[in-house]
Amino acid sequence: MIKRQLPLLIAFAMGVIFIIQFFIPHQISQDLLTWVNKWLMIIGGISLLLGIYSLLNFHYLQIFRNKPGWGFSLIMFFSFLISVVVGFTPSLINVILPLPESSVQSAEQVKEWYRITGLKDGSSLDWIFRHGITPLSATMFSIIGFFIASAAFRAFRARSLEATLLLLAAVFIMLGQTPLGGMLWSGIPDIMTWILSTPNTAAKRAILFGIAMGSISFSLKIIFGIERAYLGGKN
Amino acid sequence: MPWFRILFLGLISLLGFNNDIFAQNTLVSPQDFTAFDTPNDAGGSVSLTWRVVPENNKPEVPYLILAATAPDGPWFEQTTLVNLKSDYPQYFGLSASNKLWSYCEITDFKQSLTDDNPKPITATTYFKLAVTDGSKTLGFSSVVSAMHQGNWFDASKINILIFVVIFSFVIMFFISLARKNPDLFIRRIPGLDAIEEAIGRATEMGKPILYLNGLDGMGSLSTIAATSILGKVARKVANYDSQIKVPCRDPIVMSVCQEVVREAYLEAGRPDAYNQDNIFFITDDQFAYAAAVDGLMVRHKPAANLYMGYYYAESLLLAETGAAIGAIQIAGTDSITQLPFFITTCDYTLMGEELYAASAYLSREPLQTGSLKGQDFTKGLIILILILGSLASTAGITFLVNLFKTF
Amino acid sequence: MDNTVLLGVWLAVGLTLFMYSFLYKDNVFFRFGEHVYLGISIGYIIVRVIFNNFINDLYKPLVEDRDYILIIPALMGLALYTRFFTRIAWVSRVIFAFIVGFGAGLGIPRTIAGGIFKQLEGVLMPLAAIKDGFFFNADGNFTLVNINSLIIIVGITSVLVYFFFSVEHKGVVKSVSRVGIYFVMIAFGASFGYTVMGRMSLLIGRCYDLIEFSSPKYYYASIVLLIMLILVFIIYEVVIKKGEVLKTNE
Repeated sequence: MIKRQLPLLIAFAMGVIFIIQFFIPHQISQDLLTWVNKWLMIIGGISLLLGIYSLLNFHYLQIFRNKPGWGFSLIMFFSFLISVVVGFTPSLINVILPLPESSVQSAEQVKEWYRITGLKDGSSLDWIFRHGITPLSATMFSIIGFFIASAAFRAFRARSLEATLLLLAAVFIMLGQTPLGGMLWSGIPDIMTWILSTPNTAAKRAILFGIAMGSISFSLKIIFGIERAYLGGKN
Repeated sequence: MPWFRILFLGLISLLGFNNDIFAQNTLVSPQDFTAFDTPNDAGGSVSLTWRVVPENNKPEVPYLILAATAPDGPWFEQTTLVNLKSDYPQYFGLSASNKLWSYCEITDFKQSLTDDNPKPITATTYFKLAVTDGSKTLGFSSVVSAMHQGNWFDASKINILIFVVIFSFVIMFFISLARKNPDLFIRRIPGLDAIEEAIGRATEMGKPILYLNGLDGMGSLSTIAATSILGKVARKVANYDSQIKVPCRDPIVMSVCQEVVREAYLEAGRPDAYNQDNIFFITDDQFAYAAAVDGLMVRHKPAANLYMGYYYAESLLLAETGAAIGAIQIAGTDSITQLPFFITTCDYTLMGEELYAASAYLSREPLQTGSLKGQDFTKGLIILILILGSLASTAGITFLVNLFKTF
Repeated sequence: MDNTVLLGVWLAVGLTLFMYSFLYKDNVFFRFGEHVYLGISIGYIIVRVIFNNFINDLYKPLVEDRDYILIIPALMGLALYTRFFTRIAWVSRVIFAFIVGFGAGLGIPRTIAGGIFKQLEGVLMPLAAIKDGFFFNADGNFTLVNINSLIIIVGITSVLVYFFFSVEHKGVVKSVSRVGIYFVMIAFGASFGYTVMGRMSLLIGRCYDLIEFSSPKYYYASIVLLIMLILVFIIYEVVIKKGEVLKTNE
């Protein structure tokens, strides 16, 4: 009984406490919010091991069971190990067991020591971040440029009134943002401004109203224990 | 007589050249100077107000605030103020008299105007206000004192509190109504009806279903809504003896999804078919996650893709790749910025509120459907407020507008 | 030029081109880039979490500042692992409930303030200026300002009617919902058009980087790697696929 009821009680208590917290400006209330946010970051950090285990297990099984593409799982392991080893070597030891001052030759040597390893700017992990992760992220982000064109090509066929309105609005906005629009007709930038300030605002506000009410209703159902799917098992 | 005229003209010109002296001589000492603890805050701040007088109400007239730890001084200059406005409804209310007061907040105690290291106010502090001409003081107010303290209730948010209470009662009322009358009408939501069709198609083709929970963590309502829908989808998948893959971006979301899917398979009487490895963590990085899911899609070629939850820029990367492999795609998100992309690339899209309604729609339980009725009632109320408020605003009645003011 | 910088540029260009090859089709280069991305991102996250979350936010405050209250979140985090033990798996649900309840409670008043009240504040405007006349200002010129307020009210009302769940969409409700959908489509088209420019500029930015890295200073990295990539694709398509076709014919 308690195994089922205790989580619901905790959800109720947390929900009510943080509704009330919003209306209490006292420093204690602000500190409570700061503490819980910090706690959630710590919990999230500890839970990362769960995720790491899941990912490594998935790729380990790919290799172990000789599944197609197991070589790439090996590449994944290799890249992962390089990042972790580069990130953790001596800088971690230095954090837990700081280098005694007497063993340090000069400030430049310490700086060089940190440069080779650790998270600081100019470190090896920072190098991997700048030359690996950053270009990869930027590339994936830029691929959206291609996809947006193909999505537009597929979607912007005026088969219905709705599709026509979608197409026209997009065209006016795109033209209005460039000098070409003004060159074609001086009214295009004004139409763009009107579309953004009037029908766009109206629809967005209404959708936000709906989202607000839907999310508040959903939150109330969670707090009052009506919505329990996140706990697993029957509602 | 001409010499009188010359004297008179000379006097007039003297007055003209020295009209600023005349202007300063009309300044009056500050009136009704008051100090009090700044309301609705965490403490650490004292508020000062004084009445607006037309003689002093000029942009070039500076005020000087002085503070001391004792009523007799010594006095230390804190700050000079010019061009003050007078509109602070959060402290004076929304009536016209709000415009009759100037306002200033003091959060620390300075030893001089140029003190770069002021100390916080820790005891009752005495204040006086002077009006100056820039170089000398022309008049002082009376001495007042105040001490700050943290407040336990933010009165400026009372309208929000009332709305929370009203909305909660409305939802609970309609839920209890739904208990007595369980056959509440809910209109068709094509995107949710299509889920069964999508699962059937995937089963026929022998391909898996790909289910994404969005990129936010478990504290996000859209993710909770997505996991709720996942339970119902997983139950149908178990009944159809198909396969579902749930790549996750957050480890806690992954844990919750594993529980949810396991329970769904148990309820469907197929615990043997549950495979925990189908719900897995990929990475926390947004675009690494998108790249991995794209790779998953082109290699495993799922027959149906369900995107539920909150998405960011990667939404188009995912949905466009899914469209390219020919999967049936159903999206549900409250991310307004990404809805246009899902609308253009997916077969069905649940917009905003429909994501939160999905759980009630799929379960059809009275407790759930009753809340939808409550939402509709509140929406009707909003429409009424919109129309009445606009008409009232047109007539110059600002009561409704003020009711929804936030500070 | 520093060798590490040169190596970094060649690595960045290589990975960029590998990811772009996905636009052609799924291939061994994209899979390589994808798995490298996965590996290094996870490695980076672990190091960041250990240093920021564990050492700075947990270990140092606990050990150095003696902030013993932090034992609670540490235990809560560890409690998540109880889900692997059937008898005490329910403890992990308590943690889920903590997180979910916090999110739900935190959201309600803030959503009301931001999602409802702030929106209403912006919309409850006069439909007409009594001073200037209904649609004309003091100069006698036609002004759209007040018509826009009316359109906004109509738009919001019709979209909200579309989102009614407990009313069947027929008759008047159907017509009003239709109007609502038209407003929604205009809004989404506007969002789409507005975002296109931003996404295109990202693509242009990336291309600029590739052009910069094709200079002699970087030993023509972009050109060399692009040519290698194309050659490999051609070899694969022509030679290997031809070999497969010959094998199937046999």
